[in-house]
Amino acid sequence: MTTTYEKMADVLVEKFGVDRDELRPDVTFEDLEMDSLFLVEFVLTLQSELGLKIDEDAASPRDTLGAVAEILEAQIARAS
Amino acid sequence: MTSPEVAVTGLGLVTAGGVGTAASWARVCDGASTAATDPDLAGLPVDFSCRVPDFDAPALLGRRKAWQYDRFVQLAIVAAREAVADSGLDPASWDGTRVGVVLGCGLGGVATWEEQHRRLLDRGPTHVSAMLIPMLVPNMVAGQLAIEFGATGPSFVTATACASGATAIGTARELLRNGTCDVIITGGSEAGVSPLIVTGFAQMGALSKRLHDPAAASRPFDRDRDGFVIGEGAGILVLERAEDARSRGARIHARLLGYGATADAHHATAPDPAGTAVERALSLALADAGVGPGDVDHVNAHGTSTPLNDAAEAKVLRRHLGDRPAVTSTKGVVGHTLGAAGAIEAAFTVLAVEHGVVPPTANVDSLDPVVEIDVVTKAPRTQPVDVAVSNSFGFGGQNSVLVFGSA
Repeated sequence: MTTTYEKMADVLVEKFGVDRDELRPDVTFEDLEMDSLFLVEFVLTLQSELGLKIDEDAASPRDTLGAVAEILEAQIARAS
Repeated sequence: MTSPEVAVTGLGLVTAGGVGTAASWARVCDGASTAATDPDLAGLPVDFSCRVPDFDAPALLGRRKAWQYDRFVQLAIVAAREAVADSGLDPASWDGTRVGVVLGCGLGGVATWEEQHRRLLDRGPTHVSAMLIPMLVPNMVAGQLAIEFGATGPSFVTATACASGATAIGTARELLRNGTCDVIITGGSEAGVSPLIVTGFAQMGALSKRLHDPAAASRPFDRDRDGFVIGEGAGILVLERAEDARSRGARIHARLLGYGATADAHHATAPDPAGTAVERALSLALADAGVGPGDVDHVNAHGTSTPLNDAAEAKVLRRHLGDRPAVTSTKGVVGHTLGAAGAIEAAFTVLAVEHGVVPPTANVDSLDPVVEIDVVTKAPRTQPVDVAVSNSFGFGGQNSVLVFGSA
């Protein structure tokens, strides 16, 4: 499990009230009942938490958590 | 054909007196003010308020809902769940198309608005929440209650400032009488204790400046009153046609007998000192209820603790009702909750009718000599309350008067 994935999981649990048992890398945001509005809020929160500018379209409701974590890691690698 | 009678079958309260009807009623009957120094208001011209104690939104609503709702919606949902449960109706089996939601709200999600505006100024547009709009618009409180209970009848918010909750209840009653709905979830909610709103009220001189003694600040009808104390909360009533309530064997707390609404057309914020429109609202409400001025046992006054309101209101009550009714202002204990006040006070009026108890007005040590009415002070008064009036007046000169009667 990458630290980015863990960070995402922490935000989903602590801010968005998702049950930690629901979280797996192959779960989509749609599975978590998170629509596009939630996702915008999620990305905003991650930006603050990771201190990183994230593209607004970095994640869509049908993406899995694992896939989004990989996208974010690629962005972090490019930024550093 | 006479219009059908309307019954109050459910009550829910979240006030500075506590979360729940029992805690709120016990506190207003105790008569001790809830006003206290508020850390969120530190450094402002007025730094005290009446806050709901121990309101743990994530525990009460679940974290997923807690972060999506501004506090005014959170308070309303908790009060509405209590009211619906109290009514004995089951949202899982009712016909949602026949259920309406009519809530009063004067401001909306002001705390969210302020926080997000600060983010915009300090950190830029990319930091503004995508949930800002659904969290702040005032009608969302009716929208979210409709979602919560699967109520797909009319759903809307009334805004008449500090009369909003009473306007909602009076308006909602019509939806039962004209057959649009079979059940109404109505009342009001407000969470306006934010730095900007409190400063705004302070700047207009409406708030008590008794910073050294907040617990004595809200003192309706007292000679030394100097302004209102801001509060927060929600009051929800479930209404049904009395005939429907009786046929399903429901407990009826009280009947909603009458409603009168008028406008001063005088001044944006100051009450008309002649009280002409207030008196007409009272007279219309009594006529609608089919009772006379001499039948009124109890008045839950608007009684804000401002010098102007209490003098003008007392004059109208004396002129129209004489000195017979036992008058109280529950704002002495729970503060002025703005758009929720009319609904919270309607609930307290219903409880006074049901229990035959009139709560005392907090902090009345020396009744203002211009107040020539029977204000209940110091201790609750036990007496039969068959007909009771709840007054609510909003900035904008908007007056709403409700009349309740015993079941």
